[in-house]
Amino acid sequence: MNRLPLLFGWIVLPALCSISAARDDNPDYANQIAPLLKTHCVKCHGPAKQERGLNLSTAANVAWGNDHGAVVVPHDLEASRLWKQVEGDEMPPDMPLSDAQKTLLQQWILSGAQGLSPAVSDKDPGNHWAFRTVNRPTIPTVANSTGLVNGIDYFIQASLEASDIKANAEAAKRTLIRRVSSDVTGLPPSLEDLDRFLADSSSDAYSLMVDRYLASPQFGVRWGKHWLDAAGYADSNGYFNADSDRPLAYRYRDYVIRCINQDKPFDRFITEQLAGDELAQLQPEQPVTPENVELWEATHFLRNGQDGSGESDGNPDEVRADRYYALESVMQNTATTLLGLTIQCAKCHDHKFEPLSQLDYYRWQAVFYPSFNIESWVKPNDRFVYASLPNEQLHWEQQKLAAENRVKTLRTELDDWMKSHRVNGEILFEDRFDTQSAGLAAQWRETAPGDDSTGGSVAVKLDTESAPAAVIKDGKLWVIEGGTQGDSWLSTQRKFDWTPDKIGESIQVTFDLVDNKLPNGVAAERIGYFIALHDFDDNSGTLGGNLLIDGNPTEGTAIHLDYPGADSRSLGTLGTTGYVPGQNYGVRVTNLDNAKFRIEQLVNSFPDDKPIDVKKEDLPDGGFGFEYCCGRSFIVDNVLIERIVASPTENPPTAELRKRQKEVAQAVKQHAELVANRPGKIAWGADMASELPEVHLLARGNYAARAEIVEPGTFSIFADDENRFEVAPRKSSQKSSGRRLAWAKWLTRPESKAASLMARVQVNRLWQQYFGKGIVTTPENFGISGAPPSHPELLDWLAAELIRNDWSMKSIHRLVLNSATYRRSSELQTDSYNADQNSRLLWRFLPRRLDAETIRDQMLAVSGDLNLAMGGPYVATKRLENGEVVAPEDSADSSRRSIYLNQKRTQVVSFLAVFDAPSIVFNSVRRNTSTMSLQSLSLLNSDFAVRRAQAAATLLKLQTSDDRKRIEMAFQRSYSRWPSDIELSDSIRFLDQQTQLYAERNNAREQAWQDLCQSLMASSEFLYVE
Amino acid sequence: MNFRSNNYLQLLRRAFLSQYAGSLGGLALAHLLHPTNQEVHGQQLYENSSAPKANAIICLFQHGGPSQMDLFDPKPELSKWNGKPYPSGNLEVHFDKQMGNVLGSPFGFQKHGQCGMELCELLPHTAKIVDDITMVRSMNTESVDHESALRLIHTGRFLAGMPVMGSWIVYALGSENKNLPAYVVLGDPGGLPVDGERNWTSGWLPAVYQGTMFRSGKSPVLHLDTPSGVTEPARRNQLKFVEELNRRFLDQHPESSELAARIENFETAARMQSTVPEILDLSTETESTRELYGLNRPETKEYGTRCLLARRLVEQGVRFVQIFLNGQPWDTHSKNAESLKGLCGRTDQPSAALVQDLKQRGLLDSTIVMWTGEFGRLPVSQGTDGRDHNRHAFSLWLAGGGFRQGYTHGATDDFGYKSVQDVVTVHDLQATLLDAFGIDHRQLTYPHDGREASLTDAEVTKARVIRELLA
Repeated sequence: MNRLPLLFGWIVLPALCSISAARDDNPDYANQIAPLLKTHCVKCHGPAKQERGLNLSTAANVAWGNDHGAVVVPHDLEASRLWKQVEGDEMPPDMPLSDAQKTLLQQWILSGAQGLSPAVSDKDPGNHWAFRTVNRPTIPTVANSTGLVNGIDYFIQASLEASDIKANAEAAKRTLIRRVSSDVTGLPPSLEDLDRFLADSSSDAYSLMVDRYLASPQFGVRWGKHWLDAAGYADSNGYFNADSDRPLAYRYRDYVIRCINQDKPFDRFITEQLAGDELAQLQPEQPVTPENVELWEATHFLRNGQDGSGESDGNPDEVRADRYYALESVMQNTATTLLGLTIQCAKCHDHKFEPLSQLDYYRWQAVFYPSFNIESWVKPNDRFVYASLPNEQLHWEQQKLAAENRVKTLRTELDDWMKSHRVNGEILFEDRFDTQSAGLAAQWRETAPGDDSTGGSVAVKLDTESAPAAVIKDGKLWVIEGGTQGDSWLSTQRKFDWTPDKIGESIQVTFDLVDNKLPNGVAAERIGYFIALHDFDDNSGTLGGNLLIDGNPTEGTAIHLDYPGADSRSLGTLGTTGYVPGQNYGVRVTNLDNAKFRIEQLVNSFPDDKPIDVKKEDLPDGGFGFEYCCGRSFIVDNVLIERIVASPTENPPTAELRKRQKEVAQAVKQHAELVANRPGKIAWGADMASELPEVHLLARGNYAARAEIVEPGTFSIFADDENRFEVAPRKSSQKSSGRRLAWAKWLTRPESKAASLMARVQVNRLWQQYFGKGIVTTPENFGISGAPPSHPELLDWLAAELIRNDWSMKSIHRLVLNSATYRRSSELQTDSYNADQNSRLLWRFLPRRLDAETIRDQMLAVSGDLNLAMGGPYVATKRLENGEVVAPEDSADSSRRSIYLNQKRTQVVSFLAVFDAPSIVFNSVRRNTSTMSLQSLSLLNSDFAVRRAQAAATLLKLQTSDDRKRIEMAFQRSYSRWPSDIELSDSIRFLDQQTQLYAERNNAREQAWQDLCQSLMASSEFLYVE
Repeated sequence: MNFRSNNYLQLLRRAFLSQYAGSLGGLALAHLLHPTNQEVHGQQLYENSSAPKANAIICLFQHGGPSQMDLFDPKPELSKWNGKPYPSGNLEVHFDKQMGNVLGSPFGFQKHGQCGMELCELLPHTAKIVDDITMVRSMNTESVDHESALRLIHTGRFLAGMPVMGSWIVYALGSENKNLPAYVVLGDPGGLPVDGERNWTSGWLPAVYQGTMFRSGKSPVLHLDTPSGVTEPARRNQLKFVEELNRRFLDQHPESSELAARIENFETAARMQSTVPEILDLSTETESTRELYGLNRPETKEYGTRCLLARRLVEQGVRFVQIFLNGQPWDTHSKNAESLKGLCGRTDQPSAALVQDLKQRGLLDSTIVMWTGEFGRLPVSQGTDGRDHNRHAFSLWLAGGGFRQGYTHGATDDFGYKSVQDVVTVHDLQATLLDAFGIDHRQLTYPHDGREASLTDAEVTKARVIRELLA
């Protein structure tokens, strides 16, 4: 760390002297130093005012120093900045210390600064305030307890009294309900809620209102987002530019929202997320239960980090680094979210500022490693499990069967229709393979008509079954290909004229593809056949011909001219339909203009899309034949070659055909979608193999520098005989290592150091959401380098309450929300303000800008557009041509709460991004609150804001026609209060002015109302809670 | 350390307040909006730094990794060994299964200017400015992966989500024009570059410090245009009404600088609606200027327009302008030579024109122009005619803002694979650029993740200012 060595206003003076050995009568902190500091320093460096971030009021705070490091370093005057200031009479600024006082301070430091918090003077990081077991502090006594509600208020009042600051009174009711509603649900109070609360004059009106909001499902939506940010949730993989999709992550998001609404005990909540799979232990034959599903969904927590390993394409070192990154992300997310520890430094070396060794890091990595085994990696898309509930599965199978039947029915209908509408021409050649006695040799042979050599280096044998062979069996032709020789054929004996003489005339060949394999054989990769077959080894003098039509099972057909031989060339792709058994295929050649001839693929005798045009010389007279190649055997029937005089395009009705084909295609697509969407797919985190991998410490964090093998473990700073990290022995049936479950157990055991820290971190983040700042202002860092708590005892008391209440987070919400501290008005009181400008001691509620999602959701709510549908796959967002990312307004889903919009890391919705929504490159436990002109532009000019204003104006118009009433309603909806008389008259004046200014338009008044609604939503009062 | 205390302290206070005093956005905005404020710009910050020459920078970023041995770093050995197996040991290759033989450059190199700097024939316009630029032939970086290498050169780390250099500079120095963002990105009309908006993210620095994208076309800044149907007088009246609402709210919280800043934001937003289109209106430029940038030729028109805009923005006091290309066109895995012809045809003239134009207007002394990609390419072929990624060497050039003129720094080995003499790391480059602005890279810090984080993280990266690059 590059701690800045100096405070501003500080001047470095040369060292003057040093005082020799410590004495026996060392100055005492409590009796000598503390009073001195209190008298001379605490006014500016105390609990109320912390100039330069320095608080000298308690031993722990003196020990911590400020953000720039320690101010007192035992035995070291030069390094003790406190001393340097005092020595040079820089401080205290008005009245320097006397020589005697200076000497006292000097001696105290030189003798080891006794009496400071043990964290510093003992140099025992285990005693750091955050790393100790929580002991529930006693609630302090206060001089004035009027209006105090619960323990929180007593801790707060005690520190206010110590600084002689008077706290504000309770805020107005309308302020309170807007504050509670926004904080608890992220939405403004409805007019009904507002009326109800304002009308309720009973003493428990407030706490009942709080309970109503805590019971709302929207509580889970709001606080789910806080958790998801901390857990690093996103709907995309991040890391690379591709930022590929995580289509199943939503199940984890919905799990989180459900759990928060249920108030699932936090220890259970986090155990499920770390080790739900190990808790489940479902045997393969057992039916899946909803509990299992939930446990597996929970483990997506382990998958929240960025993971580019699915797209990794570099050399092996890069691929390994990409994998490690996914593993390290899990560790980072877990450490900051649960323990408030910044562990990354320990990856390469022992942490410089925290008591975390490199060994600690890798022992802890070994807990997660079996799920992210670098050496036998599983890509993100392959980390899933199917867990459909029995009824889900049944329903799906029924749907699938119905879709399958529909495909069959439509296909049969289509076939019948085609058969009945087939264009029949003059038959030039026909073989129905029915008359066994005549044999193949009657019309077929192994050589092209007129050629002097057989087709292929090994000739096809007729009427036998020894490959390569052709034989009639069961009234069908078997094309039997056995080897890898290739290039053979079975050709008609006759040649045909493949270029009809008259424009519009055609010649076509068709055959039934009975099967694409022999019984018990392998499916042929291609179904190949020739037209204009005339020459095997290119010695005939005639060019062209030998047009190979190479039917592909799934897509367009490849066409090669003059095949085989080195001069063979591709003519591209013909048609779009694949060759599947049970259909009739072929080609038709039509004379277009005597020079060009069109080849069309025929499917069930009807032309397919994408014809190819060839020249006359490409198609010399020649035979028709089946290709033998590469072990491709198949069975055909009913070979027909016909000449068609009429133009085939006039008849039959192609529109009808296309319609029927489309129906079939849609049914096929529906079926395929059903097959692909087998229910119950969960993207999970789990150990992927039953072998336990070796985990190595990596020297200097270098992935190639494997050092000693390490055993799974946890941070030694939390070593605790009462709470050992122990992995249960594995059962034979168990695939999982059990390490994560062991770690979760270690983490959540009440009374332990680990659980104490975790509880502190959680209540602190909760506090931060309600008050804008945490009791610890560095929620990601509770370590020695983090900020010290402003109210350490309150923090511990809340943590103890959480554990005592069986980890019920709602119990802490209730405590905070009901406290007098939370209910204070935000009014400015000069005396209190002068003493504590930033309300660090919470004498008032500090006005706070809403976060990005709340601004968007409240605009939707105020305009009446909000869609409160819960759960399900994310709502797609889109990057427009101008770069703006939006939820397209043409879908009703676009007005759902922001948590349901696609949380794609590289595509944050612009309206949210401008108000500091994070892109979740890392997890986010704290947000900035910036104030920029771009926000004003968004509120004034974005399509989103304009549409909300339109809707809000329309809503008012529907409610009443009275202008005053409308304005009142607009203020109530936007601000949860009535307008003042001045505001009312100003608003009417504004409406009239706008109507005038829009006089040329026929909807001037509507536009004026729209402008009014938009102005309210763009104003500070809307954007802030008081 | 000797600080000229006032400025240093202001800088420190900003970092300090951002963590402890809240209303950070308002505070930061105040810097952006009040250029007369002592702490924001144009001051010499440290006595131990060189006197700052630069107060603005234009970065012409060339995504994909331009081929140094085909453009800036002639290697006769390559031609000798062309088509033969690489003779000089192991190469680190990104697509390790597609490595081919040594691939000589098909392009000729010539000496130019008084300094005699050698450049490839594809860069006839850059050849005209060689006496104004510093050519660095000995760059290296730490990753052969595009995204990681981009983050390294922009943010100093290979992880995503860190603040880019532009954000750091603006954080340190603020803006000189309260009606414009301090950090402007001129995007390619063809689309975003690889790694998208992360190329100009403020990371964990406050969002006010991130680059603002100016797009080509009618609406350069998102939501700059008044919605259709809202007339100018009506909008003015509406702004007045919003201000009344906001003033009433401020009256209840008169101490809040954040709420005061919010009022000012609406004014700034309104002013931007007129100033931005003015800046983007090139009709006031002379015909000869337009020709200089190649606006009269289809292949240079688009890039030339953005280079000219960059000059206009800098003239207006914008601190950092960055010009990006769509995707990563310099990533010549195949058809290396052919692709380079097209890319140089598009960028050579406008890039050189920018330097010439700044110079003739007397702005070059205070404006840095930097032409660079994220890494270089290999001396061997990938497939038959491509070149794969190379992190061990690449070239870049710098002009103005106190950088030396007509100077070539460092050298690679005989094959251009590795920088071997006077090596400059991406961290050194960042330290040197900050120094040109009078900022000590070791002291420009911001509290993050439990530490005072900096752009160069010098303790770890050993970043140092390369004095030889500076005049």
